[in-house]
Amino acid sequence: MSASSPPLACIRGLVKRYGATPAVAGIDLAVHAGEIVGLLGQNGAGKTTVFECLLGLRTADAGEILLGGIPVRQHPRAALRSVGAQLQPSALQDKITPREALSFHLAVHGIRAGADELLARFDLVEKADARFETLSTGQRQRLALALALAHRPALLVLDEPTTGLDPQTRRALHEILRAHRASGGGVFLSTHDLDEAERLCDRVAILHRGRLLAIDSPSALIARAGEATRIAFRTARLLPPEALAALAASRGAAREGGDSVASGSYELRTTNPTNALAMLSRMVEAEANSLTQLQLTPPSLEDAFVALTGEQWTTSAEAAA
Amino acid sequence: MDNLRGGRRMTTARLFLAVLLRQTALTLRLNFRTPLAVTYGYLLPVVFLFAFAGIFRTGRPPLLAEIGQLLTITILGSAALGLPTALVAERERGVWRRYRLLPVSPAALVGGALVARFVIVAGAVALQLALAHVVFGTPWPENPAVFAAAFFGTTFAFLGIGLLIAALADGVPAVQALGQCVFLPMILLGGVGVPLAVLPGWAQRLAGFMPGRYAVTALQHGFETVRGPIGLGFALAAIAVVGAAVTAIGLLLFRWDNSFRAGRREYFGTAVALVAWVGVGLCAAGTGRLQPTLPPGHEWREITDAQIAAITYENLPGDDELVTRLAPPLARPLTSARLAAIDERLPAWVAAEANNSGEVIRHLVGLATIADLAQDPQEGEIARLVFDYLRATLPEPQLRRGLAWIVLRPDDGTMPTSAPALGFRREIDENALRNRAPLYAQKFLGRLTGQLRER
Repeated sequence: MSASSPPLACIRGLVKRYGATPAVAGIDLAVHAGEIVGLLGQNGAGKTTVFECLLGLRTADAGEILLGGIPVRQHPRAALRSVGAQLQPSALQDKITPREALSFHLAVHGIRAGADELLARFDLVEKADARFETLSTGQRQRLALALALAHRPALLVLDEPTTGLDPQTRRALHEILRAHRASGGGVFLSTHDLDEAERLCDRVAILHRGRLLAIDSPSALIARAGEATRIAFRTARLLPPEALAALAASRGAAREGGDSVASGSYELRTTNPTNALAMLSRMVEAEANSLTQLQLTPPSLEDAFVALTGEQWTTSAEAAA
Repeated sequence: MDNLRGGRRMTTARLFLAVLLRQTALTLRLNFRTPLAVTYGYLLPVVFLFAFAGIFRTGRPPLLAEIGQLLTITILGSAALGLPTALVAERERGVWRRYRLLPVSPAALVGGALVARFVIVAGAVALQLALAHVVFGTPWPENPAVFAAAFFGTTFAFLGIGLLIAALADGVPAVQALGQCVFLPMILLGGVGVPLAVLPGWAQRLAGFMPGRYAVTALQHGFETVRGPIGLGFALAAIAVVGAAVTAIGLLLFRWDNSFRAGRREYFGTAVALVAWVGVGLCAAGTGRLQPTLPPGHEWREITDAQIAAITYENLPGDDELVTRLAPPLARPLTSARLAAIDERLPAWVAAEANNSGEVIRHLVGLATIADLAQDPQEGEIARLVFDYLRATLPEPQLRRGLAWIVLRPDDGTMPTSAPALGFRREIDENALRNRAPLYAQKFLGRLTGQLRER
């Protein structure tokens, strides 16, 4: 992929309304070769609408979308040739087998062979001739990904590809996506798993109520949000209030949670964990007390999300509940 | 990254054909893996066949008179109900949404689904015909080319209805509800399930606005010559018009994604498609093709005034036109020696049938038709002579019933094919006579009822 190549996906000024309700209110975003871009947002943020407009499944009210430099609206078929998409892993007939699904998909792309290779690569050989209705969630996800990758597209568009997967399958899927990136491809995915986004994505776009609040690398987003490291600890005896006040007033440290005192558990947030820990250690020593538990949690993408949106992050399971 | 590195690729046209065939094969394979689809597509038509054979067991040859109805039910069920059920079930799963993302013409994918359904329907019809022949001795189609045209046309029209239902229905239960809205009226009132001849007059006319009536007629023509106001040409044209309208609108409104709900666009499209149905019905009514139908063996004496009143007189040829000429009332005594001789011999000519006025009327109308088809120089005068004779020798109520009998049951009774005693020695084809005679009967009847006036 040469430096002058157009982005694999380019969204400019995308607006989509459902009636009077704006689902996406003017977003700009690009996915380049050799990167994984994650789209983060709560339910109803507009992620699915962005994907649907990107793939030409919905017509945007305004803006321009290019796939491999080809406008989707004017030339949908040509534009989609460079894309492999997985929006819904169950989107196959109950009675179809993985081999049939892959063979059909390849044939539609004008490719005459390759199903066996894909079955082996995605660990589906044993289930090659089993009906789709008998496959497990993980096997269905792997098949969906195999279909998305079958015609060797430049760009993969995946809507929550790891939802419902066991950790082992999830790791295997991450490896496949990293391998795709390493071979010069691009990935644009949405996920409800913030850890996954942080570990897997080169850049993360935060979408909130149809607006793109930020797009950057996970570390840059966390740094930009100015969030603090969390220090959680327990002491053998309760700390006196004046000691806590002193700790809270110390450099870069802030006390959090009043009720934690009663239970003997404390939580601090600090932008300077080294100094905060040194001070905590001295204070506990001076009080002839002792630390019984200590946990240091660096700032995360969730903190960045909360700082940017002002709302708590909800997992997909919580949202469903 | 090169998405073309998969190696050998095909040209667009070959790819289109390959995808169409692949989609057809895949749809068929998946259909045969679904026990419910096989039951509905093949077992149910067999049950219908045996049910029809049980209900219409007196027919000779067996089931011949009902074969058009039977096949129409099979095609209607599989194409107009089976197709949308399968399409909407797949759409609900997101299969068609995924297809939408494929870089291939949608026509190849939708076309493949339609071709597969066509094959399924053809299989069910072939199974019914084979079983009917082997088990009951029902004859094979007398005219295979006509049967093939009728089958293609009917299946095309009903697949179009299926596409339209799929576009309107938001889910499989809605397909069943909408499908029944089409299926049941056609079965009960459209001459498809319940024979047209046993329906009341208003229902018979209503049936003219439903494609099922034309499908039954067209398919029946494949097995035997069907006489009546709706000929093969009109039936095929009606099916083609309805089929083209519903298929075009069904394709236009095709829904790939279940998250899109049927709205004003879909309802407007459906209204446009229904205009084609109404248009065909109006055209049939306007050209006098929606005449009431009497059941076989119906006694001509039992024809009611209401049945006579339901007969229409649109689109009859003029009295001076090439066919069914009718001269103005003749001056008496007759000046033409030939006409006078015919007039004199008429009582003897119909004497053999004197105990059955219905047959007398049919024979005399047949005589006028022989003169017409033989292109006799005095064909108009002979027709007038016949009409005058009928009025002079038969009570009017009886004459009205006898003429209505010819209009409503052109195949009943006996039809002379020549009249040597009256100087008409040339044999005329009986089919042609039976097709033409109702026109003279209408002209005479219209004058008796006041619906037609003398020039």
